[in-house]
Amino acid sequence: MNEKFSDYAHPEVLVDHDWMKTHLDDPHVRIVESNEDILLYDTGHIPGAVHIDWRRDLQDQTVRDYIREEAFAELCRSHGITEDTTVVVYGDKSNWWACYAFWVFSLFGHKNLKVLDGGRDLWVARGEALTKEVPQFARSEYPTPPERRDAAIRAFFADTLKHAEAKLPLVDVRSPGEFSGEITHMPEYPQEGVLRGGHIPGASSCPWKTAANDDDTFKTRAELTEIYENGLGLKKDDDVVAYCRIGERSSHTWFVLTYLLGFENVRNYDGSWTEWGNMVGVPIEKSDSA
Amino acid sequence: MSAYPEKLEEILDLFDGLPETERREMLISFSENAHQYEPREGETFDLEDVRKDDECTDEVGVFLNVDDSGHARFKVRLGPKVQTLTRAMTSILCRSLEGSTPESVQDVPQDFVPRIVGAELVRLRSQTVYYVLTRMKSACAVFLKRARVSGGLTQSRQGAKI
Repeated sequence: MNEKFSDYAHPEVLVDHDWMKTHLDDPHVRIVESNEDILLYDTGHIPGAVHIDWRRDLQDQTVRDYIREEAFAELCRSHGITEDTTVVVYGDKSNWWACYAFWVFSLFGHKNLKVLDGGRDLWVARGEALTKEVPQFARSEYPTPPERRDAAIRAFFADTLKHAEAKLPLVDVRSPGEFSGEITHMPEYPQEGVLRGGHIPGASSCPWKTAANDDDTFKTRAELTEIYENGLGLKKDDDVVAYCRIGERSSHTWFVLTYLLGFENVRNYDGSWTEWGNMVGVPIEKSDSA
Repeated sequence: MSAYPEKLEEILDLFDGLPETERREMLISFSENAHQYEPREGETFDLEDVRKDDECTDEVGVFLNVDDSGHARFKVRLGPKVQTLTRAMTSILCRSLEGSTPESVQDVPQDFVPRIVGAELVRLRSQTVYYVLTRMKSACAVFLKRARVSGGLTQSRQGAKI
């Protein structure tokens, strides 16, 4: 096993390039690319990878919510994924949307999930194989999950409000400028319709980026422990809620806390700042960024 | 009469009614041709505007030449982090606005963008597809302002950088 991975709480959820290259044709593995750049998959992808789009495939098209159980099962069937298939996700933007897809698959209880460390950009930077060929897999059987596990790993607005009022750990993973209220858009992104700048009262600032190296790989266990446990003061049995603007960057942090550090009770508030910041009658805080 | 330059109208006709798969293929094809519109080594321009704006993911350089007849020609250099859709739109705009006057570039309405991109690909985080057109219009505005100040197109060509 990759030496870095072996230190993580759940090393089985990460794969490196060597592993990936030996499993490109593995019928028990389905490689899934999930990006922010909606045309990126079409420009070339890891051989055998299918495309799952965070908005088209994972979100309900008329309600701000995720797809329901039957739609998830149908998505898996359409890509030849069975309950036992190992799904390996990767994507652009340091694996934001890969972690988001991982989290949504987790909502439906899919067991065998992995993330390609370094995501798409590192794969491309190292000159690994890409293809434009879109694979076709025979439809599979995938039973409709009994439930969407919202309560386990997802926080809704009311949950987050209660959480904040109880002064339980809230981690704001946005940039320091967004946290302080200085800016109302993510750096390098257009405005996404947020009316107010600031953060949820009581939240601590810990940008998602602190968990990633410049090559998009995850930092080591020791580095992550320093950031989240020693620096932020989180404890493994804490009830933690993470948020960003729409839930993708906080999926990255949710993944780090849950699988790399072994926290047992982390939820992603996917409504995030685009919900909280616009909600009528709800307080916010502004402050100097940490 | 169309509000769009003739070449842009031709491209819009190409996209109109395309099935989603073919629309994506066409956009990929345009995005892969974006490098053809990068400035060449040693090439000079009437106006260069290279910057990284807060709302864009990487640096974008807009380079403008206007010939003696007042016809514009754009070159655009995109940083590596710029998204595929923006690359495609850059390629489309460089091709379709070539030969237009700076005044007519400023008058191009933005409402053609959804006709190219299509409903499936329009989303909040793809709004930077409008960005390159805005930058081109801005370059034309600066060029024309300088032309007015200096009393003519010829005098405005000083290899100026914004």
